[in-house]
Amino acid sequence: MGKIVKVAVREYVETARTKAFLIGVLMTPALIAVIVYVTGRYAGKPSGPQPAKHVVVADLSNDLSSEIKEAFRDYNASRSQRPIRLRELRPGGDANESYIKAQKQSVRDGGLDVLIVLDANVVEGAGKIHIYTRSARAGDVETLSALENLLNRAVANRRLKARGISPQLVAELRRRARVEHVSLAQGSQERRVDQGGRIIAMMVPFLFMFLMFMGVFGMGQHLLTSITEEKSSRVIEVLLSALSPFELMAGKIVGLGGIGLTVIGLWGVMAAAAARWRGVDITMAGEIAPYFAVYYVLGFLLFCSLLAGVGSVCTTPKEAQSLLLPVNLLAVLPMASWYHLVRNPNGLLAVVLSYIPPMTPMVMILRVGADGGVHPLEIAASIVLLAASVVGAMWAAAKVFRVGILMYGKRPGLGEMLRWVRQK
Amino acid sequence: MVSVSLQDVSKSFGEVHAVDHLSARVPAGCIYGFLGPNGAGKTTTLRMIMDIIRPDAGRIEVLGQSSTSLPKARIGYMPEERGLYRKMRVAKALAYFGAIKGVSSGELTERVPRWLSRMGLTEWASRKVEELSRGMHQKLQFAVTVINDPDLLILDEPFSGLDPVNLDLLKEIVVQVRGEGKTVIFSTHVMHEAENLCDFILLIDKGRTVVDGTLDEIRARYHTRAAMVEFEGDPELVESLPAVRALTRQGRSWQIDLADGTDHQDLLRQLVGRVSVQGFEVKVPTLHEIFVHLVKGSDGQDR
Repeated sequence: MGKIVKVAVREYVETARTKAFLIGVLMTPALIAVIVYVTGRYAGKPSGPQPAKHVVVADLSNDLSSEIKEAFRDYNASRSQRPIRLRELRPGGDANESYIKAQKQSVRDGGLDVLIVLDANVVEGAGKIHIYTRSARAGDVETLSALENLLNRAVANRRLKARGISPQLVAELRRRARVEHVSLAQGSQERRVDQGGRIIAMMVPFLFMFLMFMGVFGMGQHLLTSITEEKSSRVIEVLLSALSPFELMAGKIVGLGGIGLTVIGLWGVMAAAAARWRGVDITMAGEIAPYFAVYYVLGFLLFCSLLAGVGSVCTTPKEAQSLLLPVNLLAVLPMASWYHLVRNPNGLLAVVLSYIPPMTPMVMILRVGADGGVHPLEIAASIVLLAASVVGAMWAAAKVFRVGILMYGKRPGLGEMLRWVRQK
Repeated sequence: MVSVSLQDVSKSFGEVHAVDHLSARVPAGCIYGFLGPNGAGKTTTLRMIMDIIRPDAGRIEVLGQSSTSLPKARIGYMPEERGLYRKMRVAKALAYFGAIKGVSSGELTERVPRWLSRMGLTEWASRKVEELSRGMHQKLQFAVTVINDPDLLILDEPFSGLDPVNLDLLKEIVVQVRGEGKTVIFSTHVMHEAENLCDFILLIDKGRTVVDGTLDEIRARYHTRAAMVEFEGDPELVESLPAVRALTRQGRSWQIDLADGTDHQDLLRQLVGRVSVQGFEVKVPTLHEIFVHLVKGSDGQDR
């Protein structure tokens, strides 16, 4: 036991000194802070005046001229930064095939930004609004959706007028009532939840899962590097003359687990400080933290046992990575489907993934964060299953580690490794 | 008392029989040379003694215990492939290895500077291991091996790559360790190192014992019937003597192989009066000669 502690302490101290570690601890939150700050600052604001977009409308219905002009006028009055100029409006009779063809050519040449053709029966029937542009680019999305709205309003207004209803009256009647969402916390506390609060409620479980992912996988990288380095620098044989393979493996895992907890602790403190500063409610985070600790420790032990087993037969981290691809894919699955999981925390997918050990910690922390009502029995069952798989993985990994750590040259196949596990 | 005993130990890697029914007894308090050509199974045997790899068959006992419950704190092992943590400071690395070998931190504060000074590495104590030269690295590795003051030292090719000064330093320490009643096992393929140092020798080839015993026993067993003679006179006259089978010039002296049924005394009697004898030496075979003779012999049988 004492030796495991000594190995762990060395692993902790030496890892904490590496540049990769310092960058990971400090740069990751700094990067996230910058992204959050920049997007928060500029989200919803136009990024300065844009050059005017030029539009030609061919109105084959021959019925919308005044509405279209009005809609363009309204739009440009309220958004002077992103003007859309109506270069020409051709009513039906004057917009023949050759005219439209010429305008299309003009769009192709770049002389015109957008050509719009309104079908003849667009007001009464199922006619379409055709929009022609040179290509579909991200920068055009805003202009195009503005144009779509603007033309649709023109069509709708025309329909209203045809029935003798004033468009202004309809707009007045469709005015939305304001909504206030209040969350009832313990005691008599009431707290207003704004739009941002709902997004945070959705993001916090994700952030916890992300921390879990980084904590387990980031540290896994350190473990792989550490093992393969000891192997390629041949220090391993000296170590094994003093330690049993199990002591060495356990010491490493414990030391790096400590590093992981330190990193996550630091990030958690930074996040909590940032949340307090911005006045964000984080009581939920406090409730999840104990679950996080349990799932993290078990998940870390499981993943690191696998890594130690696989890492011991490889001489470079790169080689180990390719062997670990299936395991890595398993861990990425919850990350990829987090949005679905967070909205259906008790759905079939969420429940099934909860009981596949490498994914259990990530999925469970997401579910606990997304829904306070996950059954305690389910939590207990997932922890028991995870703990059992940790014991199994450590036992198998120790056997593979024992043989693999001194093998150089040809890497053994999976079958060979399974044979080592079955030995004695 | 027996320090290490191997009983009928075998180990194969795939098709290769690295160690093949090997038995040996290492008496306590001696320097035991483990000799053999490259690939003879020396390193595999030492690793099995250290329980780093396990034998397929046979029994190994170390310091009176089965090797699976090896008293690692009482052993110092220097592997053939040297390796230390490259990024650690020299003194820290030495202290760390001492600690995991069970040396108390109080002891280490005294032992680490003592060994660094003995190895001439005091000035390098706070440098990183990767800054050391090859020879210094090797000395640090040796210090790591002996930092726990082991009762049994196992050194795999300890003298390769050392300059003469450092070579003498390590040999001096090895001899001193034996003087303290401890046991040293070392492997080498350089015969004169073994000849100078060893009390006992085990010569193996292809995982099997070729010969073992004390140096004198082995020499007596492979005693060549020859003498080295320095004389003034007619070589042809000497060659015609009844005790002489063959005569070959070796520098200033001649090697005389004895004819069957004669001994060195007969030769000396026949020489005296016929030539002027300047020097006469009963030729003792070197380990090198025995080694080459035996290993080549077994090669001849196998191939």
